[in-house]
Amino acid sequence: MTPHFMVRSLLALFEPGLQQAAHALGEIVGEAVTMSAPTLRCLPRQRASTALAAAGGQRLCGVRQHYQGGFRTEAIVMFAEDKCLDLVRLMVGDAVPMEELTAMEREAMGEVGNIVLNSCVGTLANLLGQDLRGSLPLVQIATGAQLLAPAAGAGSAQLVMLLQIDLVLEAHCIVGHIAFMLEMDALAQLQALAGRSAADGAAP
Amino acid sequence: MSPAKTVLVVDDSRVSRLLARQFILARRCFWHVEEAASGEEAIARVQADGHGPGQRPALLPDLILVDVNMPGMGGVAAASRLRELCPQAHISLLTANVQVATRRRAAELGLGFLSKPMTEARIAALLDALP
Repeated sequence: MTPHFMVRSLLALFEPGLQQAAHALGEIVGEAVTMSAPTLRCLPRQRASTALAAAGGQRLCGVRQHYQGGFRTEAIVMFAEDKCLDLVRLMVGDAVPMEELTAMEREAMGEVGNIVLNSCVGTLANLLGQDLRGSLPLVQIATGAQLLAPAAGAGSAQLVMLLQIDLVLEAHCIVGHIAFMLEMDALAQLQALAGRSAADGAAP
Repeated sequence: MSPAKTVLVVDDSRVSRLLARQFILARRCFWHVEEAASGEEAIARVQADGHGPGQRPALLPDLILVDVNMPGMGGVAAASRLRELCPQAHISLLTANVQVATRRRAAELGLGFLSKPMTEARIAALLDALP
């Protein structure tokens, strides 16, 4: 079980970035986005991959990016596959014909994911005084369990920190799920950076 | 009315190029917007193709928007090269990367900085600030 004080301090660290992610998504679609209360757990990677089982095994469009620098993290934002076209329509407006919209849907979701994730991670990096380098966004269509499953050859029993939050566009019944996964050594690096920032007076 | 200008939008994301075009033309309907899907393509566009029949003359943009996170030649490298090739152009990095380090890098290179998501308001502010 993750100590409560550790959960609270990590959530406080991520909160400004998560708010920025919600704000960025709101700017993309031109309407208000609300956030669920984030949850944070440390658990084996294989169990983390089943964390979205409550979504009923529905197919999701996931946009994944890896970040490295002062610490390493994997970030993924996911939307229900059948809501992605609505999201892209909100992004580009009514002037784009449906055939063109459908053709660009996957690539547009990559852009949405890139913006949402960079908004969050960038804010966190600024708080810590770090420069984090992000990979190019990778778009995948799969169930939540498949999207969060460990890569081939990776240790499924390896402990990871899983932070989850939902971003809700109520008017269109669109929910985005954001998950951050850090291996325990990366989590230790993150906590060390947060401690240094707090000591320097740079942390919130 | 100010003279028509040419804008080159460099982004591997088709939807980003579409939005940039929409927002720019909404504010400056008489301007000309060109697109490139990579830094390499942008550099090829602004270099002379040659003078034979059917060959395209070099593009002379007044404004260049360059996405930072692109496969192949990254946006910062492309912007630096474009700065050498197009000294007359105002060049802005276009990025969802809100990190201070990225803004600092842009400033050191004499480049502007435009945050994603692109909005009509951000594009309008950029266009209004051009000389």
